[in-house]
Amino acid sequence: MDTSLKAAAVVLDSVSKSYGPVEILKNVSVSIAPGEVVTLLGPSGAGKSTLLRCINHLETISAGRIYVHGKLIGYREVGDTLHELSDREISAQRRSIGMVFQSFNLFRHMTVLQNVMSGPVHVLRTPKVEAAALARDLLEKVGLPDKADRYPSELSGGQQQRVAIARTLALAPSVMLFDEPTSALDPELSQEVVATIRSLAEQGYTMLIATHEMAIARDFADRVIFMVHGEVVEDVPARSFFTTPRHERSRQFVARHAG
Amino acid sequence: MTVAASCAMAEPRAVRVKHRLRWGAWLLSAIVLLVTGMLLVAAIRAKIMNLEVFLTYFTSEQVLLGARNALILGTLALALASVIGLVVALMRVSGNPILAGLSATYVYFFRGTPMLIQLLFWFNALPTMFQRLHLTIPFTDIVLLDAPTTTVVTPFVAALAGLGLAEGAYMAEIIRAGILAVDKGQRAAARAIGMTEAQVLRHVVIPQAARIIIPAGGNQYIMLLKSTSLASAIGFLELLRIATDIYSSNFMVIELLAVAAFWYLVMTAFATAIQTVLEKTFPQR
Ligand SMILES: Nc1ncnc2c1ncn2[C@@H]1O[C@H](COP(=O)(O)OP(=O)(O)OP(=O)(O)O)[C@@H](O)[C@H]1O
Ligand SMILES: [Mg+2]
Repeated sequence: MDTSLKAAAVVLDSVSKSYGPVEILKNVSVSIAPGEVVTLLGPSGAGKSTLLRCINHLETISAGRIYVHGKLIGYREVGDTLHELSDREISAQRRSIGMVFQSFNLFRHMTVLQNVMSGPVHVLRTPKVEAAALARDLLEKVGLPDKADRYPSELSGGQQQRVAIARTLALAPSVMLFDEPTSALDPELSQEVVATIRSLAEQGYTMLIATHEMAIARDFADRVIFMVHGEVVEDVPARSFFTTPRHERSRQFVARHAG
Repeated sequence: MTVAASCAMAEPRAVRVKHRLRWGAWLLSAIVLLVTGMLLVAAIRAKIMNLEVFLTYFTSEQVLLGARNALILGTLALALASVIGLVVALMRVSGNPILAGLSATYVYFFRGTPMLIQLLFWFNALPTMFQRLHLTIPFTDIVLLDAPTTTVVTPFVAALAGLGLAEGAYMAEIIRAGILAVDKGQRAAARAIGMTEAQVLRHVVIPQAARIIIPAGGNQYIMLLKSTSLASAIGFLELLRIATDIYSSNFMVIELLAVAAFWYLVMTAFATAIQTVLEKTFPQR
């Protein structure tokens, strides 16, 4: 485990998570290499969102360990005990883990530019002028240079999601987590978001994407992880998942979604 | 289909739109105007007020002092109440059962007893509980304060404490409602970019809660400005106390009540203006 742990971008080592008596993640082990694009598929309630939220410690796990670039997330290991890190230490870890949400979650009271600047300014303490320049660059990259002074409520869903992507990029994360980034969008708007994510994939970002959008999984993901009821059922190259799904559940899933 | 076809075919023709008259509303307006007019006429006929007396006292030194005292007391009490309210609200949503319980108890007590009783209590109980206030910087010999409690707890201090503590309970509930109204996703996003809990509060939760807190807070400010009149019961020289003092010697009751009422209206206008400015600063988005 140890050498691969250092080399991998994200490692989930026998992770379990329960809400009360209900086990949502069951002994999940996954490893993602730097630059790899992995899609997380599975029916509703499989635990995809929960898994992503555990990686940046928005949810705490009940057992196992999570590493991002070799660093144990959320805890310090002393002897055989895990001590939960302080608020400050956890937030420092989250800086290098970008997260994009299904419902965008742009800060409503801030303009688009302020949203993209919020990480650098409040978290990294970058001078405002510098942060604004960086933010304008990123808005250019996601194709929205003219929306800088708008408020999120004045943008379409697809535009909001691209701003949200720019907001996470502003912290130069080493890993990007996407939780159904296109599920709240109609097909046309989802196209532009998919295009943005694809360009990130081409730039070599390490990404873990929970999605129902087969275009992402089929066209540019390296790997598919298929989950059902909190368990990883398949963890295979994207191509083979669609051509030769091994399990009954994945066959049904592919038949229904890829038809 | 046939409707669309016939419409397209018809000659373009100017159409007059006649809106329905809202009879009820007009009738009610008429009744209210009539009753108000009758009351005014009755008041003027009875010469209930001497306008000259009203004007003299309106800007008299004593009355101005009272108005100033009321404004200062009300404003400081609101500031104190906001700080208390924020702390109590944060305790309530902290998730710690003891803090939440303490917070709920605080709100229950201070919202559940009349403000007047609270003012009288602080004014009388504090000097009894502590004969002498003695405040030093710990581990040094520096004495910050050393005086008999009765000289420190003046009517003003007791009134400020009483109003601030009581109002703090209302502000706590208002602020809590504001915090709860902020979408969970906003907090998750703020944490995900690496903000500490304090930063999440400061940069995301409070600014968004503000647009809910401000209108209700403005309302409380106005109530508080008027509640300063309760402080007359413990001998604080605020507006109403001064007005009653004057009319008990010259018997110009209506004039002086009108003077006081007018100044309360001025203060209310001031509070409303501040509220409007703040609402523009934190607009609904
Ligand atoms: N806070 C919570 N308390 C209790 N149960 C929860 C909580 N959050 C999620 N769950 C449960 O955990 C399970 C997994 O939820 P999760 O949101 O991770 O699924 P998902 O795969 O993302 O589904 P979807 O495709 O609908 O988004 C569900 O059964 C859900 O009911
Ligand atoms: Mg989900």
